[in-house]
Amino acid sequence: MSLQVGAPATDRQAVNFLWPALLALVAALPMGWALWAALVQMADVSAWQALWADPQTWRAWGMTLWTGLASTWLVWWSVARLLAHGFIRQKLAKWLPHVPALLATPHAAMAIGLVLWLSPSGWALRWVSPGLTGFEAPPPWPTTQDPWGLGLILALWLKELPFLLWVAATQMQREDLRRRWQAEYAVAQTLGHTPMQAFAQVVWPQLAPRLRWPLLAVLAYGLTVVDMALIIGPASPPTLAVLAWQWLGDADLALQAKGVAAAGLLTASMAVLALGAVAVLRVGLPWPGRMSWIWSAVGVACFMAYGAVWFALAVGSVSGVWPFPQVWPSLWTGDAWAQVMTSARTVWTTLGLAVASASLCLVWSMAWLESASHRWQQLLRPAWLLPLVLPSVLWVLGLYSLALQWRQEGQWLGLCLAHAVMVLPYVLLALEPAYRAVDPRQAAVVASLGHGRWRYLVRIKWPLLKRAIASAWAVGFAVSVAQYLPTLYVGAGRFATVTTEAVTLAAGGQRTLMSAYAVLQMFLPLLAFAVAAALGRPRQFEKIGTMKDRT
Amino acid sequence: MNTGLHVTIDRLGSASHTLVQGLRLAVPAGEILTLMGPSGCGKSSVLAAIAGTLACVPEGLQPLQLAGRVQLNGRDLTHLPTHLRGVGLVFQDALLFPHLSVAGNLLFAVPGHCPQAERQARVTQALQEADLVGFGERDPSTLSGGQRARVALMRALLAEPQALLLDEPFSKLDAALRAQLRPWVFAHVRERGIPVVLVTHDEQDVADPQRVVHLRATEESPTHV
Repeated sequence: MSLQVGAPATDRQAVNFLWPALLALVAALPMGWALWAALVQMADVSAWQALWADPQTWRAWGMTLWTGLASTWLVWWSVARLLAHGFIRQKLAKWLPHVPALLATPHAAMAIGLVLWLSPSGWALRWVSPGLTGFEAPPPWPTTQDPWGLGLILALWLKELPFLLWVAATQMQREDLRRRWQAEYAVAQTLGHTPMQAFAQVVWPQLAPRLRWPLLAVLAYGLTVVDMALIIGPASPPTLAVLAWQWLGDADLALQAKGVAAAGLLTASMAVLALGAVAVLRVGLPWPGRMSWIWSAVGVACFMAYGAVWFALAVGSVSGVWPFPQVWPSLWTGDAWAQVMTSARTVWTTLGLAVASASLCLVWSMAWLESASHRWQQLLRPAWLLPLVLPSVLWVLGLYSLALQWRQEGQWLGLCLAHAVMVLPYVLLALEPAYRAVDPRQAAVVASLGHGRWRYLVRIKWPLLKRAIASAWAVGFAVSVAQYLPTLYVGAGRFATVTTEAVTLAAGGQRTLMSAYAVLQMFLPLLAFAVAAALGRPRQFEKIGTMKDRT
Repeated sequence: MNTGLHVTIDRLGSASHTLVQGLRLAVPAGEILTLMGPSGCGKSSVLAAIAGTLACVPEGLQPLQLAGRVQLNGRDLTHLPTHLRGVGLVFQDALLFPHLSVAGNLLFAVPGHCPQAERQARVTQALQEADLVGFGERDPSTLSGGQRARVALMRALLAEPQALLLDEPFSKLDAALRAQLRPWVFAHVRERGIPVVLVTHDEQDVADPQRVVHLRATEESPTHV
C-alpha cells in the first residue's frame, strides 16, 4: 500500500521509488557480497576432488540427508495435525501465548537438556536404576550422539515444531483470515462434511501455501545445523555440516579448502531439495491422513519435553557430586553460577549483539514494509529470506570474507552485521502478517480527518501494531542470542557469548557449567519475550456495567 | 466562497479497465446528493477520487487513476493529498480506532488549531449530540452498531470538513435502526451547511429525491475482496 495518499502521481512515483531502492540496497549489499564471496571460494577443483575422494564425505552426506529429511517430515506431519486439532477445538488462541517460550529455547540449550536426560548416566536411566534395570554403573550405550542420528532427529523435531506451529498460528489468528476461514469452515460443515474434512478441504489448502518458506527454513535448519549436531548428533562420521565446520576450522589450508567444498555440496543439496519441495508444494500438499487422539498426546508430550529439559538444565546447573544411580545430586553447589557471574562480559556481549541486531532489523523491516509497494515486496521477498534457506556454514564463509574485506573481522560492528543478516528474515516473517492485516481504509479515514502521514503512523498504525512489533523484536533478539557459527567465525574467536560458551563446554562434558550457560542462554530470550509481552499489552479500557441504550 | 462541490470525471479506472467515465456532479452547500448503482459500478471509487484515497486499496489490487477534476468551494483539490482537502469520509464499517476510547477517537479528529481548553468541550458536546453521554471512556468494540455509526459521523464532523462523503453508512444496520439513524444523520450534516455525497444501493436511503445520480455497471465488474 502506498501512503502518499492523494499526492500527484509523478511525485508519488519518485518518492515511492527512492526509499525502497535505498533500503533494498542497504540490505542486499552485505548479503549479496557475502554470497558472492562464498561462491567464489568454491571454484577450487582440487578441493572438490579431495572431497570426493574422502570416504567420510559420503557417509556424512547420507547422515545429513537422513536426519534433515526425517526431522522435517516429522515436523510437517505433526504441525498439520496439531493445527487441525487446534482449529477444530478452538484452541489456537489459547496455545499461541505459550509458543514464544518454546521458541525462545535456543537449539543448543535444547540439545544439552536432552543429553542430560538421554545419556547413559542421564536422568531417564537414573529414575529406573537400579530398581528396574539393575544397573549400578552407566551402561555403555550410545544413547546420545547415537550413530543413527536419532537423538539429533528428536532434538530437531522438538525445536522446529514450535517454530512452524507459531508461524502457522499467527497466520490463522490474523483477524481477516480467521473470520473468513471460520465462516468457510462452517459453510463446509453445513454441506455435510465432518469438521476434519471441512478443515482438510477448505482451510488447509489455503494455509499450506503460506507455510512454504517456513517449511523450507525447517528443512534448511535440519540439513545444516551445526551447534545442535555437535552436541547430540552422531560423531563418526558426523553430519556434513559438522564435517565442513571441522575442516574449516583446521590450520591445514587443504583441509580448509575441502571444508569450503563441503559447504558447497551442502548448499547444492539444499537447493535441489528446496526445488523438489517447492514442486511438491505447488501441486498441493497431501493432507496427512485421519485425525486421532494421538495428536493431542503429541502436543502435550512436546510441551512436557520442554518442561523436562528446562528442569534438567536448572538442576544440572547447581549439581555438584552426583554418583550414577542416584536420582538427585548428593552435593548441591553454586560454583557454576559464581563462575558465570565473574564472566559477566559474556552476558553483556550477548545482550549488546542481540539488542543491536534485533533493533536494526526491526527498523529496517518497518521501513521496508511501510515504503515498498506490494509488487516490490513480492519481488524481493525471496532475497530477504535467503538466510533462512541457505546453510549457515555458507553464510559464515561469505560473511567472514566480507568482514575481512571491510576490515571488520573480529570487530564488534562486523559481528553485529553478521548477526543482523541472520536475524532479518525472522523479524520480517514475524512482522509481515500483521502489516498485511492493516485495513487500508484506516489510512483513508485518518487523512480525511486532516492528519498527515506521520501522525497516522505514530498515533494509529504503530500503536495498533505494537504487539506484533514488540514480538518481532523479541524473535530477532532470540535468534541473535542463539547464533553460534557467525559469532565464532566472524568474531574470530574474540567474542564469547553464552551460546559459544555453552557449546564449547558441552564438548568438554562439564555438566554443571554447561548447564548454567544453557540456562542463561534460555533465560535471556525469555526475558526479551517477557519485555515484549509487557510492551505489547493491549490497552485496558474501563470495565463497563450493563449495556444501556442499545440503539 | 461557498460554491459547493464540483466533480468532473473524464475517466476513472485502472490501466486496463475503465470503471466510470463522463460523470459530472455538482453539489451545493447544505445539499445531499445520492449516488446510486449496483455493486461494482464504481460508486465507492468515485468517493475515493473525491477524497483522494484512490491509493488506499487492499494489497494486490491495482490502484485506480483519475482523469478529471475535483473542486470544492472554488479550490482545486485534484492534486492535493487527502489530509489537506478538508473532505470527511465515513464508511459502512465505522472504522473506529480500536486502541483509543470513544472519546479518544473523537479527540483525534479535533483540528490542531483548536485551543487546548476547548478540545475537551467539543468532544463532550459531540457525545451529547450522539446521545452517548457517559460513553466517553468506553472501548469502541463494546458499542452497538448504531452507536458506532453515530460516533463515526461525529468524528468526521469534528474535523470541520468542508464536504462530507458517506459510503453506504447504513448498509450494515437492520431496517429499524436505519429508519432511526437516517433522519439523525441527515439533520446533522445539513446543519453544517456543507455539500454531502451519499453512496447507497438502497432506494430508501435517498436523502433528497431531487438530487439522485444513477451509475450503471460497466460490462465487466472488477473483483472486490
